[in-house]
Amino acid sequence: MTLSRSCMTLGAVAALGVLAAAPAALAHHGWGSYDSTALTTLDGTVQSVSFSNPHASIQLEAQGKTWYIVLAPPSRMTTRGLPDGTFRQGQTISLDGYVHKNDPAELRAERIRVDGKSVELR
Amino acid sequence: MEHAGAGPAWALALEHSALGETLRQALWLYPAANVLHVLAVVAMVGSIFAFDLRIMGVARSLPVAALARLLLPIAAGGFAVAVVTGALLFTADATAVWNNPVFVYKLVLIGLGLANIVVFHLIPWRRVARWDADVPSPAPAVAGAFVSAGVWTATATLGRLIAYF
Repeated sequence: MTLSRSCMTLGAVAALGVLAAAPAALAHHGWGSYDSTALTTLDGTVQSVSFSNPHASIQLEAQGKTWYIVLAPPSRMTTRGLPDGTFRQGQTISLDGYVHKNDPAELRAERIRVDGKSVELR
Repeated sequence: MEHAGAGPAWALALEHSALGETLRQALWLYPAANVLHVLAVVAMVGSIFAFDLRIMGVARSLPVAALARLLLPIAAGGFAVAVVTGALLFTADATAVWNNPVFVYKLVLIGLGLANIVVFHLIPWRRVARWDADVPSPAPAVAGAFVSAGVWTATATLGRLIAYF
């Protein structure tokens, strides 16, 4: 066997494994998991905040349901001007983002308007 | 998904430990562990790959045993750092990562890679003096080198893909 052939075989086995796992996998982080063809705007009330790694998140009450809003890692949130404590329970915020393809209550935020300022997260 | 997070008791306990809490809350600890993990994997897989190429027949004039004295400690050190930093990353997000099949496949591949190392050292490596330089490596050594290059490349690939599944 040649080097390239062996590596290709092993690579193919690994790739097949990933593909086999994909439907069962709880697809989450990849940009492909979110429908970037339609930017959704939500105006809502903050229910709870998780300012933690690997990325921050908010439970947001909007449009009659509770959304899981995926934010940036805490380090980026902080450098972009949204440090821990920015979001408080009961606060009204507005954000733009993309809805998860498989979970209609999950949204990845691209932009947040809070305390009179607009912050880009990407 | 993380917000629907559930998992085995040990993973939940790990995630809710003081260490898990610290990794999630400290601003730079998690990214730092992430960076170190990548650097460790680069050192490990890079040195392993270079050694495998030599076994496969590239640069045959370089003595294998001498090359091993340079590359294998780098590989072992990289592996040790990767295990420690990987455990830290896992602790921060244990249930979600444990529920991710890509991570489980990666663990299986690491097991295969380690078993391959053991077999290599038990069989062809014992007689390395006979094929140290300027001769073709024995077939079992070459086979081990192919398995090694493939398994560790696939392991690093799956590791990077954990965040995408």
